[in-house]
Amino acid sequence: MSLTSEEERVTEQPNAGSTPLVRAHGITKRFPGVVALDGVGIAIHAGTVHALTGENGSGKSTLANVIGGALQPDGGHLEVDGQRRTIATPAEALGLGIVTISQELTLAPTLSVAENVFLGRLPRRRGRIDWNELHERAREVLDGLGVHVDVRRRVGELSVELQQEVEIARAVSSQARLLILDEATSSLSEAATERLLAVVERERARGAAILMISHRMPELYAAASQATVLRDGRHVADVPLPDTAEPALVRLMVGRELGDYYRKRRVEPGETVLEVDGLTTPGGELRPTSLTVRRGEIVGVAGLVGSGKAEFGMALGGAIPSSGAVRVLGREVRLDGPRSALGGGIGFVPDDRKRAALLPTRSVAENFAVAWTDQLTRRGILDARGERKRVAEAIDRYGVVTASPQSRITTLSGGNQQKVVLGRVFARGLDVLVLSEPTRGVDVGAKSQIYQLMQDHAAEGAGIVIISSELPELLGIADRILVFFRGAIHGEFDAAGLEEEEVAHVAVSGTPRGAAA
Amino acid sequence: MTQNDPAPASPSETGAVRARSARDLLGRLSLGRYTGVLVALAVVCVYLSITQEVFLTWDNLMNIVKANTVIFVLAVGATFVIIAAGIDLSTASATAASAMILGLTLQAGWGIALVLIVTILFGVALGLLNGFMITKLKISFLVVTLGTLSIYQSFALVVNGGATISLFGKPGFGVIADFVNTKVGPFPLLLVFNVLLLLAAGGVLRYTGYGRALFAVGSNPEAARLNGINVGRVVLIAYTIAGLCAGIASIVQVGRLTGASAQSDPTLLLTVIAAVLIGGTAYTGGEGGVLGTVIGVIFLGVVQNGLTLSDVSAFWQGTVSGAILISAVGLGVLRERGGSLRLRRAARSPAAGPATAPGSTA
Ligand SMILES: Nc1ncnc2c1ncn2[C@@H]1O[C@H](COP(=O)(O)OP(=O)(O)OP(=O)(O)O)[C@@H](O)[C@H]1O
Ligand SMILES: [Mg+2]
Repeated sequence: MSLTSEEERVTEQPNAGSTPLVRAHGITKRFPGVVALDGVGIAIHAGTVHALTGENGSGKSTLANVIGGALQPDGGHLEVDGQRRTIATPAEALGLGIVTISQELTLAPTLSVAENVFLGRLPRRRGRIDWNELHERAREVLDGLGVHVDVRRRVGELSVELQQEVEIARAVSSQARLLILDEATSSLSEAATERLLAVVERERARGAAILMISHRMPELYAAASQATVLRDGRHVADVPLPDTAEPALVRLMVGRELGDYYRKRRVEPGETVLEVDGLTTPGGELRPTSLTVRRGEIVGVAGLVGSGKAEFGMALGGAIPSSGAVRVLGREVRLDGPRSALGGGIGFVPDDRKRAALLPTRSVAENFAVAWTDQLTRRGILDARGERKRVAEAIDRYGVVTASPQSRITTLSGGNQQKVVLGRVFARGLDVLVLSEPTRGVDVGAKSQIYQLMQDHAAEGAGIVIISSELPELLGIADRILVFFRGAIHGEFDAAGLEEEEVAHVAVSGTPRGAAA
Repeated sequence: MTQNDPAPASPSETGAVRARSARDLLGRLSLGRYTGVLVALAVVCVYLSITQEVFLTWDNLMNIVKANTVIFVLAVGATFVIIAAGIDLSTASATAASAMILGLTLQAGWGIALVLIVTILFGVALGLLNGFMITKLKISFLVVTLGTLSIYQSFALVVNGGATISLFGKPGFGVIADFVNTKVGPFPLLLVFNVLLLLAAGGVLRYTGYGRALFAVGSNPEAARLNGINVGRVVLIAYTIAGLCAGIASIVQVGRLTGASAQSDPTLLLTVIAAVLIGGTAYTGGEGGVLGTVIGVIFLGVVQNGLTLSDVSAFWQGTVSGAILISAVGLGVLRERGGSLRLRRAARSPAAGPATAPGSTA
């Protein structure tokens, strides 16, 4: 693509006259077997929101880590305020006012919300921590973000979304000059995302620069004034936003025309594969819920955070205790854990990849095979050759970009980790698949692949339940959409011709649009 | 493949993949991450062979093997437990308790076969008890094994009023004495035994469903559970294996001491755990293996032998092994820090291991 030579277009961007707050020059970063960044340049100006886009594994997080001091480049250099300098550690970056909110949460789970917000900067009086002051200031920061949580609670007890908001509160309270948001919204609901975008705008207006990494196009278009596009570790283009149309931006990212990325196929539904009867959780997060899914059907589940949609998925997968009746092809599935669910033909992919899905210290191969242990062992002995073969096939089929099957899973980009987590469940050939936020942190190209894979499995006769907080995705991929509100299903729609607003209305109010309030 | 149509791999990408697979081959030989310890071991060996002429003699080397067999057997068990992100502090006490059972039953005139079976089963039972309290009663492994460290030791003292049982010349003891003293050609039988134990343990870790499940549980218990692994059972078995190893180790120990000592060697526990950690098994769980443990045991054994040969007071040995432990594990941590801070944090995240989980449920 000839645009590669357009790196110099940086200078045509707004603020071209002023010195960039941070500028990276020809940054190269190699990892064993991969060139993550190959001579990449970027100029980030104060008072702007700068989007950094590209496919999974294109090097976005690596560049963010170099600027944030977490990684040292093998080539190239950084300039801050026009001065050439190295940033050796995250602490040094903090000293320069560069604050990163990363894809991976970095909170201390056993400390309170307030302690986490002010970690390393606890207010002191006469050498002692001033707890009242700490709690007050933490409450102020969180109120300012519109987040309501007891600041004394241990962070480990909070939901992923709240944890992410605490992480954001920490960054915001530090008066950053450059705020790096590396997929900070990937575990946020729409409402929380809105709040974050408001904060981003506030910070920008204050004069801070924001480097925003996200796979969610609408956010980038809403917030950013320019975008730098990376592909395979190389700088592809700098383009103005929102003036560059989405298809054009996507084309820069993936290097080809993507077209309609749902490519929804209508499959004639077959026999009933899943029957759920009065499924409920003891804590009441999920009130008795019933549902049937037929072979070939993709059922979308929508709802706000806390609506019970996440618990519905977890209960089906046996991840949390529940009662009621679940039948697969007429056979009762015991509700006493993931093992019974799997044995009964229900595969579950949790939404929190890091906490509940990855084996961080193991290889890509083992992260696949952990879901196949029973299929790969005979009388306890592992079929090593069979495993190698299946892993190789899965890497190929699910398009996982990895240096080798033996690479540690944590060396993969977030989107590629997600493909492993999904692929291992898909590859079991189960009758029912329950997928919670399956495309979180996944790039447009890979999303499209995942949608196609879901439809392939549906066409092969699986019944699929997809739980998502992204409405466009549900409308694009599902045949039928259920909306949860306060623990129960409050609306059911045929997805054909459905509008987002109709679903959103039920999700927010529990009643269909147009009904008397 | 046709329907996903991913961007075709660029030539440079395939080249990188090829370079990578060569590296993987080296990695599979598993010397890569042991390089540090192996280099240190080589340095110590060269130094000793220059300064101590006895060091490189066959007899001395085989002595090292025999003197470290108890440690090795226990370290194999500890490797399983540590991979599961736990630790078994009771292992030396369990060995002493099993040794007393061996001594008492043999003294009481039981047949040797029965004595050996009872001793090993006793060790297994002690491990099961640890595992039961940790997995079923959900008490933190630190609390449980710290408690049984004291209880098992106390049991060993109580059963015979604290007295050592001398077994020299007792009927049946000859079998045990043969086990620790016989040679197969130039090799001590214990060396052959150690090799077999290594192969068995390595085989279990690498080529069985249980081995995979153990690593998965140590790496992320929640992910393991969601993939249908019975986490409690896997952990229970790990502690039971440690108990089994304590039973076996007690037989070797009784053979070498020609008696059952009620008091366990105070440095034994440290040495065992140090050997495992020096060998690259991470205390955070989900990583490591018995090959590293062998290297750790040999390293500590050689250093100990060197100190003895150089007439350094035995009192110094604790300082030396402690310092080696800290530097070996510390260097590992430093090396990782060179990687990505974030990755390391991720690996230590809240749910990453029972290292934190059981504590909160206790
Ligand atoms: N510590 C590491 N060791 C080895 N390879 C790594 C490491 N970190 C990243 N990589 C590799 O570098 C490349 C770029 O990764 P990076 O995380 O920057 O991608 P990304 O653009 O952030 O992707 P995503 O959108 O999936 O988060 C990938 O191929 C990844 O596998
Ligand atoms: Mg990333």
